[in-house]
Amino acid sequence: MINLNANVGSILPKTNLDFPGMPKVGGGHQKSDFTDTIKAVEKYISKVDDLQQSSNASVKDLLSGKSADIASVVSAVAKADMSFKLLVGVRNKLIEAYKQTMNMPL
Amino acid sequence: MEVNNIFGPVDIAISGLRAQHKQMEVISSNVANARTTDAGKGEPYRRLEAIFKTDGDDIGGVSLDEIVKDMSDFDRILDPGNPNADEQGYVTMPNVSLPKEMINLNIAMRAYKANAAILKRYQAMVETALELLR
Repeated sequence: MINLNANVGSILPKTNLDFPGMPKVGGGHQKSDFTDTIKAVEKYISKVDDLQQSSNASVKDLLSGKSADIASVVSAVAKADMSFKLLVGVRNKLIEAYKQTMNMPL
Repeated sequence: MEVNNIFGPVDIAISGLRAQHKQMEVISSNVANARTTDAGKGEPYRRLEAIFKTDGDDIGGVSLDEIVKDMSDFDRILDPGNPNADEQGYVTMPNVSLPKEMINLNIAMRAYKANAAILKRYQAMVETALELLR
Protein backbone atom coordinates (compact mmCIF):
# COMPACT_ATOMS: atom_id res chain seq x y z
CA MET A 1 0.00 0.00 0.00
CA ILE A 2 1.22 3.51 -0.78
CA ASN A 3 2.23 5.43 2.26
CA LEU A 4 0.62 8.86 2.06
CA ASN A 5 2.22 10.08 5.24
CA ALA A 6 3.69 13.52 4.59
CA ASN A 7 6.18 13.09 7.40
CA VAL A 8 9.15 11.78 5.47
CA GLY A 9 11.16 11.25 8.63
CA SER A 10 8.84 8.52 9.82
CA ILE A 11 9.23 6.38 6.69
CA LEU A 12 13.00 6.80 6.55
CA PRO A 13 13.81 4.82 9.68
CA LYS A 14 17.54 5.23 10.24
CA THR A 15 18.21 8.47 8.46
CA ASN A 16 20.33 10.80 10.49
CA LEU A 17 19.27 14.29 9.54
CA ASP A 18 21.65 16.00 11.93
CA PHE A 19 24.38 17.79 10.08
CA PRO A 20 27.53 18.67 11.93
CA GLY A 21 27.51 22.28 12.99
CA MET A 22 23.76 22.57 12.68
CA PRO A 23 21.74 23.28 15.80
CA LYS A 24 20.04 20.09 16.87
CA VAL A 25 16.31 20.12 16.36
CA GLY A 26 14.58 19.69 19.67
CA GLY A 27 17.80 18.72 21.36
CA GLY A 28 17.39 20.96 24.37
CA HIS A 29 18.68 23.99 22.44
CA GLN A 30 16.54 27.03 22.52
CA LYS A 31 15.07 27.85 19.16
CA SER A 32 16.63 30.78 17.39
CA ASP A 33 14.18 32.96 15.60
CA PHE A 34 14.47 35.53 12.85
CA THR A 35 15.11 38.37 15.29
CA ASP A 36 18.23 36.65 16.61
CA THR A 37 19.54 36.38 13.08
CA ILE A 38 18.81 40.03 12.44
CA LYS A 39 20.63 40.91 15.67
CA ALA A 40 23.65 38.87 14.59
CA VAL A 41 23.63 40.65 11.24
CA GLU A 42 23.44 43.96 13.08
CA LYS A 43 26.59 43.03 15.01
CA TYR A 44 28.29 41.99 11.82
CA ILE A 45 27.32 45.29 10.19
CA SER A 46 29.16 47.23 12.86
CA LYS A 47 32.18 44.98 12.32
CA VAL A 48 32.04 45.61 8.58
CA ASP A 49 31.69 49.30 9.29
CA ASP A 50 34.85 49.22 11.42
CA LEU A 51 36.74 47.55 8.59
CA GLN A 52 35.41 50.09 6.10
CA GLN A 53 36.44 52.95 8.38
CA SER A 54 39.95 51.60 8.81
CA SER A 55 40.25 51.04 5.07
CA ASN A 56 39.08 54.60 4.49
CA ALA A 57 41.56 55.92 7.04
CA SER A 58 44.46 53.99 5.51
CA VAL A 59 43.62 55.25 2.01
CA LYS A 60 43.44 58.79 3.38
CA ASP A 61 46.79 58.34 5.15
CA LEU A 62 48.33 57.09 1.94
CA LEU A 63 46.98 59.96 -0.14
CA SER A 64 47.90 62.62 2.40
CA GLY A 65 51.40 61.22 2.66
CA LYS A 66 51.07 60.32 6.33
CA SER A 67 52.06 56.75 5.59
CA ALA A 68 53.54 55.14 2.51
CA ASP A 69 52.75 51.54 3.33
CA ILE A 70 50.85 50.29 0.32
CA ALA A 71 50.64 46.76 1.72
CA SER A 72 48.57 47.83 4.72
CA VAL A 73 46.24 49.80 2.46
CA VAL A 74 45.80 46.78 0.21
CA SER A 75 45.17 44.59 3.24
CA ALA A 76 42.60 46.96 4.75
CA VAL A 77 40.79 47.45 1.45
CA ALA A 78 40.76 43.71 0.69
CA LYS A 79 39.34 42.92 4.12
CA ALA A 80 36.70 45.62 3.88
CA ASP A 81 35.75 44.48 0.40
CA MET A 82 35.49 40.81 1.34
CA SER A 83 33.50 41.39 4.50
CA PHE A 84 31.16 43.77 2.70
CA LYS A 85 30.53 41.21 -0.02
CA LEU A 86 29.76 38.62 2.64
CA LEU A 87 27.37 41.05 4.33
CA VAL A 88 25.59 41.80 1.06
CA GLY A 89 25.31 38.09 0.28
CA VAL A 90 23.81 37.28 3.68
CA ARG A 91 21.50 40.30 3.56
CA ASN A 92 20.17 39.36 0.12
CA LYS A 93 19.54 35.85 1.33
CA LEU A 94 17.75 37.08 4.44
CA ILE A 95 15.54 39.51 2.54
CA GLU A 96 14.72 36.79 0.07
CA ALA A 97 13.77 34.43 2.89
CA TYR A 98 11.63 37.15 4.51
CA LYS A 99 9.86 37.91 1.23
CA GLN A 100 9.21 34.24 0.59
CA THR A 101 7.76 33.85 4.05
CA MET A 102 5.56 36.92 3.69
CA ASN A 103 4.30 35.82 0.28
CA MET A 104 3.36 32.41 1.60
CA PRO A 105 -0.33 31.88 0.87
CA LEU A 106 -2.22 31.22 4.07
CA MET B 1 49.69 33.13 14.44
CA GLU B 2 46.41 31.35 14.47
CA VAL B 3 44.62 31.21 11.16
CA ASN B 4 40.97 30.41 11.57
CA ASN B 5 39.24 33.45 10.20
CA ILE B 6 38.58 34.37 6.62
CA PHE B 7 41.31 36.98 6.72
CA GLY B 8 44.14 34.56 7.53
CA PRO B 9 45.36 34.14 3.96
CA VAL B 10 45.07 37.89 3.40
CA ASP B 11 47.34 38.64 6.33
CA ILE B 12 49.86 36.01 5.27
CA ALA B 13 49.96 37.23 1.69
CA ILE B 14 50.37 40.81 2.89
CA SER B 15 53.25 39.76 5.14
CA GLY B 16 54.86 38.20 2.06
CA LEU B 17 54.39 41.43 0.15
CA ARG B 18 55.99 43.34 3.00
CA ALA B 19 58.92 40.93 3.15
CA GLN B 20 59.61 41.25 -0.57
CA HIS B 21 59.26 45.00 -0.24
CA LYS B 22 62.01 44.94 2.36
CA GLN B 23 64.11 42.66 0.17
CA MET B 24 63.72 45.15 -2.67
CA GLU B 25 64.88 47.91 -0.33
CA VAL B 26 68.00 45.95 0.61
CA ILE B 27 68.77 45.21 -3.05
CA SER B 28 68.35 48.85 -4.02
CA SER B 29 70.70 49.84 -1.22
CA ASN B 30 73.26 47.33 -2.51
CA VAL B 31 72.95 48.53 -6.09
CA ALA B 32 73.06 52.20 -5.15
CA ASN B 33 76.21 51.62 -3.11
CA ALA B 34 77.86 49.24 -5.56
CA ARG B 35 80.78 51.67 -5.94
CA THR B 36 80.74 53.43 -2.60
CA THR B 37 84.32 53.28 -1.37
CA ASP B 38 83.67 55.09 1.87
CA ALA B 39 80.96 53.82 4.18
CA GLY B 40 82.61 55.13 7.34
CA LYS B 41 85.13 53.27 9.51
CA GLY B 42 87.58 53.41 6.56
CA GLU B 43 85.83 50.56 4.84
CA PRO B 44 83.90 50.43 1.59
CA TYR B 45 80.21 49.57 1.62
CA ARG B 46 79.44 46.02 2.70
CA ARG B 47 76.71 44.18 0.86
CA LEU B 48 73.55 43.69 2.95
CA GLU B 49 71.32 40.69 3.03
CA ALA B 50 67.82 40.43 4.50
CA ILE B 51 67.05 37.36 6.61
CA PHE B 52 63.42 36.36 7.03
CA LYS B 53 61.69 34.21 9.61
CA THR B 54 58.23 32.76 9.93
CA ASP B 55 55.75 34.18 12.42
CA GLY B 56 55.36 31.43 14.98
CA ASP B 57 56.03 27.75 14.37
CA ASP B 58 52.67 26.98 12.79
CA ILE B 59 50.96 28.35 9.70
CA GLY B 60 51.80 31.99 9.55
CA GLY B 61 53.24 34.88 7.65
CA VAL B 62 56.81 35.95 7.23
CA SER B 63 58.59 38.80 8.89
CA LEU B 64 62.00 40.36 8.70
CA ASP B 65 64.41 38.72 11.13
CA GLU B 66 67.43 40.93 10.60
CA ILE B 67 69.53 42.58 7.96
CA VAL B 68 73.05 41.18 8.08
CA LYS B 69 76.26 42.27 6.42
CA ASP B 70 77.88 40.07 3.82
CA MET B 71 81.33 39.42 5.31
CA SER B 72 82.92 38.15 2.09
CA ASP B 73 86.11 39.79 0.80
CA PHE B 74 86.06 43.18 -0.81
CA ASP B 75 86.93 43.59 -4.46
CA ARG B 76 90.30 45.18 -5.14
CA ILE B 77 90.73 47.02 -8.41
CA LEU B 78 93.85 48.65 -9.80
CA ASP B 79 93.30 52.40 -10.03
CA PRO B 80 96.51 54.25 -9.12
CA GLY B 81 95.04 57.66 -9.85
CA ASN B 82 92.31 57.26 -7.26
CA PRO B 83 92.91 59.27 -4.06
CA ASN B 84 91.74 56.24 -2.07
CA ALA B 85 94.35 53.96 -3.64
CA ASP B 86 96.91 52.24 -1.42
CA GLU B 87 100.68 52.10 -2.08
CA GLN B 88 100.30 49.43 -4.75
CA GLY B 89 97.61 51.49 -6.50
CA TYR B 90 94.71 49.25 -5.51
CA VAL B 91 91.34 50.53 -4.36
CA THR B 92 89.07 48.34 -2.25
CA MET B 93 85.58 48.31 -3.69
CA PRO B 94 82.36 47.04 -2.12
CA ASN B 95 81.65 43.30 -2.30
CA VAL B 96 78.52 43.96 -4.32
CA SER B 97 78.20 42.08 -7.56
CA LEU B 98 75.64 43.68 -9.83
CA PRO B 99 74.64 40.52 -11.75
CA LYS B 100 73.87 38.81 -8.45
CA GLU B 101 71.80 41.77 -7.32
CA MET B 102 69.90 41.74 -10.60
CA ILE B 103 69.05 38.08 -10.14
CA ASN B 104 67.99 38.74 -6.55
CA LEU B 105 65.87 41.60 -7.83
CA ASN B 106 64.17 39.27 -10.28
CA ILE B 107 63.55 36.73 -7.54
CA ALA B 108 62.12 39.40 -5.24
CA MET B 109 59.86 40.70 -7.98
CA ARG B 110 58.57 37.24 -8.82
CA ALA B 111 57.98 36.46 -5.16
CA TYR B 112 56.10 39.74 -4.78
CA LYS B 113 53.96 38.86 -7.77
CA ALA B 114 53.34 35.38 -6.36
CA ASN B 115 52.08 36.85 -3.08
CA ALA B 116 49.88 39.30 -4.94
CA ALA B 117 48.52 36.42 -7.02
CA ILE B 118 47.67 34.53 -3.83
CA LEU B 119 45.79 37.53 -2.49
CA LYS B 120 43.87 37.87 -5.74
CA ARG B 121 43.08 34.18 -5.99
CA TYR B 122 41.94 34.07 -2.39
CA GLN B 123 39.55 36.94 -2.98
CA ALA B 124 38.22 35.09 -6.02
CA MET B 125 37.82 31.99 -3.85
CA VAL B 126 35.81 33.85 -1.23
CA GLU B 127 33.63 35.32 -3.95
CA THR B 128 33.03 31.84 -5.35
CA ALA B 129 31.99 30.68 -1.91
CA LEU B 130 29.63 33.64 -1.56
CA GLU B 131 28.06 32.87 -4.91
CA LEU B 132 26.76 29.69 -3.29
CA LEU B 133 24.52 31.90 -1.19
CA ARG B 134 22.64 33.09 -4.25
